Amino acid sequence: VDFAPSDEQRAIAEAVEALLAQRAGPARAIELARKGEYDGALDAALGEAGFLELALGPETGLLEATLLVEAVARAGGVVSIGASALAAPGVAGRALPGPIALATAGEGGLVRFAAHARTALVLDGGVARAVALTPGSVAPVRSSFGWPMGRLPAAALRGGDPLGPGSGARLASLWRLALAAEAAGAMRAALDVTVEYAKRRRQFGRAIGSFQAVQHRLAECHVLCEGARWLALEAAWKGAPAEASAVAAAHALSAAGRLFAETHQLSGAMGYTREHDLHVWSMRLPALRLELGGLSAQLRAAAEARWP
Amino acid sequence: VEFGWSDDDRAFRAELRAFLDEILPPDWDEIAKGGPGSDEQVAFSRRFCPALAARGWLVQHWPAAFGGRDASPWRHAILGEELWARGEPRGPQYMNVNWIGPAIMRYGSDEQKRALLPPIARGEAFWCQGFSEPEAGSDLVALRTLALRQPSGSSGPDGHDYVVNGSKIWTSYANHAEHCFLLVRTDPESKRHHGITVLLMPMDLPGVVVREIPSVVGERYFHEVFLTDVRVPASCRLGPEGEGWEVVSYALQYERVGAARYARAALTLDALAARAPKGDPTVLEKLGAARAACEAARLLSYKVIDQRAHGLPPSADTNVARVAGTLAERAVADLALELFGAEAAEYGSFADAHFRLAMTAGVAVGTTEVNLNLVAARVLGLPRD
Repeated sequence: VDFAPSDEQRAIAEAVEALLAQRAGPARAIELARKGEYDGALDAALGEAGFLELALGPETGLLEATLLVEAVARAGGVVSIGASALAAPGVAGRALPGPIALATAGEGGLVRFAAHARTALVLDGGVARAVALTPGSVAPVRSSFGWPMGRLPAAALRGGDPLGPGSGARLASLWRLALAAEAAGAMRAALDVTVEYAKRRRQFGRAIGSFQAVQHRLAECHVLCEGARWLALEAAWKGAPAEASAVAAAHALSAAGRLFAETHQLSGAMGYTREHDLHVWSMRLPALRLELGGLSAQLRAAAEARWP
Repeated sequence: VEFGWSDDDRAFRAELRAFLDEILPPDWDEIAKGGPGSDEQVAFSRRFCPALAARGWLVQHWPAAFGGRDASPWRHAILGEELWARGEPRGPQYMNVNWIGPAIMRYGSDEQKRALLPPIARGEAFWCQGFSEPEAGSDLVALRTLALRQPSGSSGPDGHDYVVNGSKIWTSYANHAEHCFLLVRTDPESKRHHGITVLLMPMDLPGVVVREIPSVVGERYFHEVFLTDVRVPASCRLGPEGEGWEVVSYALQYERVGAARYARAALTLDALAARAPKGDPTVLEKLGAARAACEAARLLSYKVIDQRAHGLPPSADTNVARVAGTLAERAVADLALELFGAEAAEYGSFADAHFRLAMTAGVAVGTTEVNLNLVAARVLGLPRD
C-alpha cells in the first residue's frame, strides 16, 4: 500500500494537468454548454497524447486511467472520458472511436453524449455491445444537468456486435468505476470553489466560512470526497472487480447528493448563476446519479457483490 | 499509488488469523460483547496479550531497543485490524502499545523507559488516560487538576513530589489500571495549553479513588477518578514541566486512529447481512451504503498509516479518518436495529451490543465536532473569525 504517486504516475499527472490547463476549465465548459456542444478538440488532444490508452498498458493500467478520468472531471472537461479511457479499453480491449455513449438496453436511451457519439456501448444483460453511430443522426435533448445529452433510438440499443461472454458484467463494473472517478473529480472541484467562496464572502462583518455551522458541513463534504476518491483508486488498482467498483460508485454517488445540496446551499443565490463556476461541476452530479439504473442500483450492486 | 500487500504482510495476516482461531475460546463472542473494559475481556486479555507478545506481535512496530522488531506501521495496523474485527481481545491494552509506549519512548527518562516499557511489551500492563475533567471535555486545555511541587518525604532524584488535587472523568479502564497517563496543571497561574504537565501516576497511591459512572453504554465503561493530596514523585513526570501539551498532542495523533473500529463495524455488518431478508431492495440499498461507509473508513485510516510509514508528521487526515469511521459505525448501528427488529431490545443481544458501542463513536477520543473543526482549519483553510 502506498498513497503517494510513483514517479511515473506523477509525470503522467503533470502532463495531463498541463494539457487540461490549456484546453479545459470552467470557462470553456460554460462556453460549450451555452452552445450545447461536445469538446471534440479536447477529446482529440487527449487521444493524440495517448492518454485514452492508459488502461491498455503495458506500463500503465486502470489506475492511471482512473486518475486521468478524475483529473478531466475536475477540470470540467466536456468529453466522454469515463467511457473512452475506462469502459471501452476495459471491455473491448482497445480504444473505440469517440465520443462514446454508455447506455443500457433496458432503459429509455436518454444518455450523455448520444447526439455527438460515434460509438455506443450498450449493456444488454450479460453482454455488452458496441454500436457504431453516425454523428448528427441523433437529435440533442436539452438538459439542466451540465452535459450534452441525446436519446439513442431503439435500433441502436438493440444493434451492434456482442463483445463476448461476460462482457456485460465487465462493462457494468467499469462503468461504475468511471462514475465513481467522474463524481470524485467533480465533487472535489465543486467543494474547492465553494470553500473559496466561503472564505471570500462576508456577511455580518465576517467571512461566512468562519461560522462553525458552515465549517462543519464543508469539512464533512471533504471527508466524503476523500473517501470517494480513494475507493475509486483502490477499485482501479484491483482491476475493477465487481465488489470494489460497486462500492466505489455507491459511496461516490451517495456523497454526490450531499455535495450537490451543501455546495449550493453554502454558495447562496450566487451558486444559481451561470457566471459563478459552481454549476459546471455541481449540475453534473445529479446526472451521474441517474446512470446505470441510478444510485439505488449501485447501492444494491455493492451489497449483492459482497453478500452474493 | 498502489494498494497491494507484500508477501510477508499477507503471510502475517494468515498466521495471525490461524493463531486467533486457536486461542479465542468457543464463547469468545459472549466475552467480547461487553467491550474492551468489561471484567470478562480484561481477564481474557491477561492471558491473550502475553501470548501475543510471546509470538513477537504485540509491539512488533516498536524499536528493537524497547522489545519490538522495528516492523513497519503497516504490520501493527494489520494486527489492529484483525483484532478489532474479532472484538479486540487485547482489551484495554491496545492503548498502551498504540500510543502510551511510543510517548514514553519519545519523552521518557531512561528510568521510565526501563521500568514502564517492558511490562507493556510483555502484555502485562494496564493503563488508563487521565485527560477529561468535568469542566474540560472537548476543550481539553481548560483542565484544572493541579499538581504543586512540595519537598519530598523520600529522596527522589529531583528532591520533590507533586501534590495532585482534582478529578478526572469518563476514564475507561480506571478500575483495572495500574498506571494513569495523567494530565495536570503544574502552574496554577497558567492558561490554556501552557503550564500543563504529564504525570505517569501509579494508581495505587494514597488519595486516588476510582468510582464507576453508571451509564447506558454498558457496565464498568466510564469512571471518575478523584485525586486528593496524591503525592506523585517527580520521577513520574513525562517530559519537561509545563510542556505536557506537546506530549499529549503527539500522543493524540496516534490515539485517534489507533483503534481500528471500522474493522469491527465491517464484521458486524457481515453478520447483519447474513440474516437480512434476501432480495429486499430497500435493505440491500442500506447494506450497500453501510458497506461503502466501512470501506471508506478503512481506506482513510490506511492513508494515515501510510503517512506514518513514510515518516511524515501527523496531519489532519487523522481527523478525516476519525469522522469517516464514525459515519461507518452509525450506518451499521442503524441497520442493526432495523434488521434485528424487536430482538434488539434485549440487553446484551448482538444488535444491542453493537448499538451501544457505536453510540460512543462520535464522542470517544475527541468529538466529531472537534475533528471537523480541525479539518476545516487545517485542510480547507477556513478562517476562525
